[in-house]
Amino acid sequence: MDPRQLYRVQLLAKVPLFSGLSQRQLGKLLIKLFERNYQAGETIFVQGEAGKALFIVLSGQVSIFRNNDETEEHFATLSAGSYFGELALIDDEPRFASARADEPTGLLMLYKSDFDDLIEGHKAIAIKVMNNLLRTLAGYIRRAQSHASNRNTLVTGVISAKTKAG
Amino acid sequence: MRTSAAGSRLAWLIPPPSIIWILAMALLAALVYVSRDFVLLLFLSATLAYLLNPIVKVAESALIKRDAVVTVLYLAIGAAIVGGGYFLYPRLSAEIETLTVSLPSFGERLDEAIDAVQNEVGAQHPAANRFFMSREIRYQRLNAFFEQQAKDIPALVGQLAAMILASVLIPFFSYFFLRDGRNTLQSFLDRFPAHYIETSVAIWREIDRIVGHYLRGLALEGLALGVSAAVGLWLLGVNYPLLLGALSGAASVVPYLGPIVGGGSAVLVALIQFKSVAPIAKVVVLYLALKFLDIFAIQPLAVGGEKELHPMLLIASIIVGGHALGIIGMIIAVPAVTIVQRVGRLLYERRRDHDPSVFPRSNTGVQIPPFVC
Repeated sequence: MDPRQLYRVQLLAKVPLFSGLSQRQLGKLLIKLFERNYQAGETIFVQGEAGKALFIVLSGQVSIFRNNDETEEHFATLSAGSYFGELALIDDEPRFASARADEPTGLLMLYKSDFDDLIEGHKAIAIKVMNNLLRTLAGYIRRAQSHASNRNTLVTGVISAKTKAG
Repeated sequence: MRTSAAGSRLAWLIPPPSIIWILAMALLAALVYVSRDFVLLLFLSATLAYLLNPIVKVAESALIKRDAVVTVLYLAIGAAIVGGGYFLYPRLSAEIETLTVSLPSFGERLDEAIDAVQNEVGAQHPAANRFFMSREIRYQRLNAFFEQQAKDIPALVGQLAAMILASVLIPFFSYFFLRDGRNTLQSFLDRFPAHYIETSVAIWREIDRIVGHYLRGLALEGLALGVSAAVGLWLLGVNYPLLLGALSGAASVVPYLGPIVGGGSAVLVALIQFKSVAPIAKVVVLYLALKFLDIFAIQPLAVGGEKELHPMLLIASIIVGGHALGIIGMIIAVPAVTIVQRVGRLLYERRRDHDPSVFPRSNTGVQIPPFVC
């Protein structure tokens, strides 16, 4: 057994997007992935560019951020086992944020065309990944709705307080 | 100041980047042409590696080391060739020996066969006699044709020797392509500018998918047709079924001309062997049936039933391929040009899809809901 590949499969097993996949299925997924090593400070992708691939952090650390005019808004710092750029598996719309390697970093990339091959050739794997991806997106939406609802409640509260005071 | 002024005066001597690119491409094309035999060898080795790569990937998905997989695969292929040779060699060598012995009298036998068929047809349909050539004229023409072919034999023998050498070198090179290809790609990717890697690899993956699908489809199509032709000819009792099946399978990579070469050879053999119309008609029906099978079953399954080259482009590519690289050039010209055409179409479509100023996008009419529950 190839220890290098075994390490990657064990890491993929910990990635929430691939939860529920057997070792055999993870092996089939692994051969679809590309690997790329980044130096510290190298840009992985830039906001506004069309997304083509999902990235999985193999080693090192990645920052996700967004440039708003002069300022840089930091969203997350990701380490081994994390993933980002998952919306590229659905469409090739522009990226919302940028990604940069904070230190020497190894990334695995799953391209949409390879994911489409999985949908055609290995439906069971694709369905599980899609299911996990939908759960992730549902989580995003619920969080966004909850955030918007809290803000609305706050705004309504402020308006009613102002009305009462007036 | 003085240096900068001199620099600006000499700036007109430096050609624009487009000219430098054109010159570089022309130089590369000239280098490829000069070393075309070696480039062809590398190309065929890479193609073989490309065809075998999916098998290696299946084993890799079971976490087996790539080196071990490739070595075992080549040992298995070697064993299969030796094993297959053990069973097929006596039959194949007998076919080649018979063919070699009967080759010098080929012209005479062909003439006799044509004469017999003409007599048979003429006896049944006397009106057909006026369409037949007189025996003397036909004999002269056949002799002239075979004398011309005999002059080309030394060149063909030279090509045969090169083919035997290539059949040893191609598996040798492809072994290393297959074993070390991934590491080479990895080291190339690590040196590629980080900012462009995502888009560049995405385009390369699409090209790879198209080329891989086409080449593997072509190989499957050739194999299916070759086996079907060999079995069909064997059932009809035609001589040299293995040789003719192999020829039909290999020729099938060249659209339009391939079936004519494969079917024409089989008809020729059947004509000399049976000297009668009915068996020839059976061989013609067999090849027509194979063509239908190819169009309606094999091609849609193997190649995907995609459009072939335009006939004019096809003929032009065969002529250029034959002129540059001989028989092998004629065989690989059509697949090579088809691949270039498909990749070109892909790049054009990508440019069209991503340049709304040149090609405005139509509104798909898909409504994005304001929220999802």
